[in-house]
Amino acid sequence: MSPPYSTLANLTRPWAAFSYGFLDPSAKREMRRKMIKAIAVPGCQMPYASREVPIARGWGTGGLQVTLTLIKPASVVKVIDQGADDSVNAASIRRFLARVSGAAETWDTLAATIVQSRHRIPEERLRDDQVLVLQVPNPEPLRPVQPNMSIARQMHADADYGRLWLVLYEQMVRSGRIMQGAAYPALVNGRHVMTPSPIPRWDVPKLNMARHLTLLSAGREKRLYAVPPFTKVEPLVFSDVPYKVEDHASLTCYRSGLRGVFMNEIPQAAGGSLHEASDSHLGIKAIRRAEGEAVEIGPLWYRDGEFRG
Amino acid sequence: MADPVATPDDLRDNAAFEALMWAMARPGTLHDLPEGLTDLVLALVDRECRVLVDDPALAQVVAATGAALVAAPAADHAFLTRVDSAMAVLAALPAGSPLYADQGATLVLPALLGQGQRLRLTGPGIEGAIETAVGGLPDGFIALRAARCRYPEGVEMVFVDGSRIMALPRSTTVEGM
Amino acid sequence: MAYVATRGGARAIEQAERLYREELGTIDAGRVQGLRDALPWLIDRVMGEASLYDADLAALALAQSGGDLYEAVLLLRAWRTTQPRLAIAAPVLQEDLFTHRRISAAFKDIPGGQILGPTLDYAHRLLATDVLGGADFVPVPVEPAPCAAPSQQPSLAAWQKTMGLVADPPRVDVAGDDIPDVTRQPLLFPAARAHSLQSLARADTGGVLALGYAAMRGYGNAHPTVNELRLAEAEVMVRHPSGVSFSAGRVKVSQAEVTSKGKSGQLELGFCATFGWNEVKVIAGATLDLNAPGAEKGSAVEEEFVLYHTEPVESSGFCIHFKLPHYVTFQSALDAMRGAAVTELAKDEVTV
Repeated sequence: MSPPYSTLANLTRPWAAFSYGFLDPSAKREMRRKMIKAIAVPGCQMPYASREVPIARGWGTGGLQVTLTLIKPASVVKVIDQGADDSVNAASIRRFLARVSGAAETWDTLAATIVQSRHRIPEERLRDDQVLVLQVPNPEPLRPVQPNMSIARQMHADADYGRLWLVLYEQMVRSGRIMQGAAYPALVNGRHVMTPSPIPRWDVPKLNMARHLTLLSAGREKRLYAVPPFTKVEPLVFSDVPYKVEDHASLTCYRSGLRGVFMNEIPQAAGGSLHEASDSHLGIKAIRRAEGEAVEIGPLWYRDGEFRG
Repeated sequence: MADPVATPDDLRDNAAFEALMWAMARPGTLHDLPEGLTDLVLALVDRECRVLVDDPALAQVVAATGAALVAAPAADHAFLTRVDSAMAVLAALPAGSPLYADQGATLVLPALLGQGQRLRLTGPGIEGAIETAVGGLPDGFIALRAARCRYPEGVEMVFVDGSRIMALPRSTTVEGM
Repeated sequence: MAYVATRGGARAIEQAERLYREELGTIDAGRVQGLRDALPWLIDRVMGEASLYDADLAALALAQSGGDLYEAVLLLRAWRTTQPRLAIAAPVLQEDLFTHRRISAAFKDIPGGQILGPTLDYAHRLLATDVLGGADFVPVPVEPAPCAAPSQQPSLAAWQKTMGLVADPPRVDVAGDDIPDVTRQPLLFPAARAHSLQSLARADTGGVLALGYAAMRGYGNAHPTVNELRLAEAEVMVRHPSGVSFSAGRVKVSQAEVTSKGKSGQLELGFCATFGWNEVKVIAGATLDLNAPGAEKGSAVEEEFVLYHTEPVESSGFCIHFKLPHYVTFQSALDAMRGAAVTELAKDEVTV
């Protein structure tokens, strides 16, 4: 039994360059406390202290702190940036995670226990034993109408989203459609409007009534929020104007032949563009399968360009 | 620089939190702690917390983490080993506010899971509805919980039965059956 | 695999890092010590922004980053994250500081005296180019004053209080161990007084100067007079768990107090202190503190605006993050634009 007071001996520990999972136990406990509250109030931004980690702020430090808290030697981590596992920053984060935790690395969505991502959700459906960690640059959906964080907080408290609706309405009047690209605001559990992070509109339905748990974390802005499984995530739309995802359903990946997934556009010197699957490992799997390998491809969220959940 | 290795404490805290996280993310489902209640204390609280406990031995464990021992109105976590004070504690714990929903407390208390009062749960984390049973709670506890959980205000509950836990986040609607 | 082009990431980042480190060459203990000894003011600035007082680590961070201050501060902050908290030091009182330099612009002379201490304020800024030709630039020895200045000095504000010129700032009675800590709690607004002062202490020197200068030029509502500026050393007293207090060492600190006539008819004070000796930062920071009360939301001197935008690690990190690929968000925006163009076209067809 520990003595009733803290001694230097039980406050400190043998010297080590850094703790398991990099974050010290106290930082992890704070993350755990805030993650519990975030799950309990879906879509509501929970402030947290946000420690500095060995990558620059704005480069995934929020997602990294969540993953570092969850990770264990038996974890299998996938890290993507813009859908690609081999994007330089994803590679850097994955290498760091493996190094400080001993966890296994993967590119395969099906094999991962934790998927940390910037700007995309994989095209293969996530299962109920998987955690999706989204890196968030700006956690505040109200920022375009109210840059002041304390006023925005009051607006969330009052469920005062009128000005956000007005912006979308004005876009419709001016441009004939809602011009919001990525980071489309969505109402969570019928109460809090959140930004789903700058994922394309294509990916927002993947959060609605999903089987997996999503944790969204902004390290620089020090806010954490969550979408638990089976939680309503409704993009803000008008009843007579349906939500519209990117028009990628009819595009074909020039590398893998995949159709009906979100695409990267590759401009061509001779004019025009080619397209490639943004979920790069899905593309690799499709190619390997076409070459005769037995590769497992999980069920996709979209079929023939239609979301089927 | 040597790569760090997980200590038994690291692994225990990680496993305890994983159980708690999934319990919160899927209200009404059962999850296993490495050993029991103390795991939750060690995974969650330290000198930045204000904690209510009802048991001298547990109070020592909490004090050694550096957390302050306080009464219910000031507590961010309450760990009960008996239910005799549960009504009074639940009535007094902070439930946060729409402005600061994060300030709602977490209440950990003993219960018999899978027996006793039958409950029907709906809300985030639950596909449709789930039926469960929780026994050993004081009369009126579930009704008091509903009164304290005026979403997004509220208190999170973790029921502990030996090493098994079940959680009710404030977002869950609970109906007696 | 046919996805060759996407497979270079891991190799590319490794080689890019090697290229950077190759330019810096081998870092040894001698280089670190040389930096520490040659650049004390830079070391101070880095320690202040890192909120980590250790000159050796600061010199190491400068060596590793080749003098890129934002990188150096990030290295130190990240290292700080890994360190356990052993104890909380006792509050440091102004009158207990071992004061090297202490000046006031508000009065010709002040109780305790004006002590110039080490400064280049009145030196001519002439580059000693002879050094490049091989002639050493040797400092002329200091001639000791006939009687040493007292090492501890009273606070000028204390005198002003006794004269009824300045009101006591609103006081929050909080035990030393319970002072809110911005490195352990999120910064929310209106901020706890401790959080504001801690944020200013950690703030980017250049950022604080830019906003402080804006306030001085007239974008604030108060014009500062330097009431008192100090460069000092503070004894860091901690209590052993057994109850004994002991000194964990001394740290260099700077503090500035600026003042202006308030609406109440009394003087108002603005305050800023930081680790290390950094006069520009504390004067600019104190000016911002003076201007914060009652500042309009969103104005350049409002607390939220100031503290969010002068955080060195956050602001520099976000700035450079725009180098990261953003082609998914760009694709999403393009799709909306093209969609809108089609809709416009459809409208035109109708009107024609």
